[in-house]
Amino acid sequence: MAPVFHRAQLALPVALILIPGCVLPLVVLLVFSVFEVDLDTFTLVPAFSGQSWRQIFTNPVFAFLIGKAVVSGAGTAVLAACVGYPIAVSMTRLPVLWKGVGSIVLLTPLYTGEIVRIYAWRIVLGSEGLVNAALEWIGLIDEPLKFLLFSPFTTHLVLLYNNLPFMVLAIWISAELIDKRLIEAARDLGARPIDAFFKVILPLTTPGLAVGIFTVFALAAGDMMTPSLLGGTSGATPMAMIDNLFGTAFDWPLASALSLSLLVVLFAFATGFVTVLLRFEGARAVFQRGTR
Amino acid sequence: MVTTPEGAPDYARSGLLLSARGLTKTYGGQCVVDGIDLDIPERAFTTFLGPSGCGKTTILRMIAGFETPDAGSIVLDGRALSGVPPERRPVNTVFQSYALFPHLTVLDNVAFSLTLRRQSNIDVAARVKRALDAVHMTAFGDRYPHQLSGGQQQRIAVARAIIAEPHLLLLDEPLSALDKKMRGHLQIELKDLQRRLGIAFVYVTHDQEEAFALSDIVVVMNKGRIVQKAPPLTIYARPANAFVADFIGAATLLPGDIVAGEEANESAAIDTAIGIVACPAVEGLAKGDRAVLAIRPEHVRIGTDGLSAVIRHVVFKGDRYLVEAEVNGFILQFLADTPLTPGTTVGLIVDKDRAFITRIG
Repeated sequence: MAPVFHRAQLALPVALILIPGCVLPLVVLLVFSVFEVDLDTFTLVPAFSGQSWRQIFTNPVFAFLIGKAVVSGAGTAVLAACVGYPIAVSMTRLPVLWKGVGSIVLLTPLYTGEIVRIYAWRIVLGSEGLVNAALEWIGLIDEPLKFLLFSPFTTHLVLLYNNLPFMVLAIWISAELIDKRLIEAARDLGARPIDAFFKVILPLTTPGLAVGIFTVFALAAGDMMTPSLLGGTSGATPMAMIDNLFGTAFDWPLASALSLSLLVVLFAFATGFVTVLLRFEGARAVFQRGTR
Repeated sequence: MVTTPEGAPDYARSGLLLSARGLTKTYGGQCVVDGIDLDIPERAFTTFLGPSGCGKTTILRMIAGFETPDAGSIVLDGRALSGVPPERRPVNTVFQSYALFPHLTVLDNVAFSLTLRRQSNIDVAARVKRALDAVHMTAFGDRYPHQLSGGQQQRIAVARAIIAEPHLLLLDEPLSALDKKMRGHLQIELKDLQRRLGIAFVYVTHDQEEAFALSDIVVVMNKGRIVQKAPPLTIYARPANAFVADFIGAATLLPGDIVAGEEANESAAIDTAIGIVACPAVEGLAKGDRAVLAIRPEHVRIGTDGLSAVIRHVVFKGDRYLVEAEVNGFILQFLADTPLTPGTTVGLIVDKDRAFITRIG
């Protein structure tokens, strides 16, 4: 008799690495979060103390920072979905060769290092940068626009730019898999192109949309570099705070508690997003297709 | 419906539904549909029959509005269709792949065209029920397409296409993905449905049996052109040329020269590898012309004083054996009750009254 392998067992090797590699550090964080710091000797003292957790729940700055990360991530995800959807759908109409070119061009932001990109944005958006110079030259403005750099606008513009490829790729693959005959059938039955979009294309791309939103949300909510270096005074993030607490402040218990709190909140929101999207009939139909 | 005195539908007097002139479509330098003129009568079941790549599906897609003709015109109900998008043409299509919306239930699939027109819910429900009744699928309204068999999905595709009461229903090889038994069932149902609805059906298939079983008119196509357009019986009994004779049923085709018979004459004779055979004359073929003698397998039998033939291949067909035998360098097909041994020699008698002359191309 042939050995019976279930397809799910193919995930086993990766799971064996991921589970210890992910769960163990979390356990360590959980343990550290109840330890105490002896500030005289700067040592971590094993204890069972709820002190750092008390701080997380009582000091509003933590809730504010976590909330800010969630809003930032969600905002970027929604923006990326709105901007990325038309790009993804128009890519499905390209000839095969141009689809290849399109996907390479699309991934351009990922080829350059993050720091390089961030300094490039400073050059583009600064007071004497490209945008301001151009606007002044054509006479639209007299003074450089200050909000272009070191503002929430900058942070979200760059977060959007960095993460857009993940959104477009996810939706594009999803849209590419739609049987073109379904669109013809819709048109044949009296649907104008706009009706066909809302009744057929949009429902059947919800899986791609869900993956895109999940990815962009996680990446944008967890980004530290972009807000710190481009957000100016608005650029505080829970990640920067954690970095500070682990490093300069040497408060590992509080840093651990904050890390875990951030993780739980982001996880809850991401799960919520995806669950809502996957409840739509379109997503259900796509996932059931292979199980007949 | 207008009928002839014998009771058969008289399409010539029923009126013209669709008329195409000089229809042409080229893909990448290859002419798929080559200047076709075509008239489709109201209420008739018209079938495009031909090998794959002959252009039959492209014609259907041009009528539906999915393809734009490079040249020529289509007039439906007296209205020119050029520039009219698919959603505004009074035709609906049943696709080969069914193309049911996977995210919608059977009810929502069937109601699709009505919900776009913002009809009242009560009206929609009643019409959906009637359409599902017509295809015997009333009990399946709450299912999703992936929960249905191929035959059931095709029934739903038909219900979805007829609910808006199109003037013309286009069917693109709708049964080709189904097994033989299901295909037979659905053929009968489709024919019955077409009679009850009184809508013109335009059907595309590469299966000559299906074309004969369903159609009032068969349009045989080859290489982007119409080769013959006639009722099934005429196509079978009087194929316009060797291509049609070959395509519609395994026939032995023997080339030869017409040796007797003038255009107006009742009979002609053709000189072939099996000798000179007398047949009814074919208009346009005169003495000295090159032509083809077509002999069907069922019109050849074994007999001691017949042509000497060597058995080459024997294929079991269920009821009988289809045998290929070589006579004077040509292969002749016939049906036998017993399995003959390849290599042996038999005598074959051709029923010369049933053989017929046809054009080479």
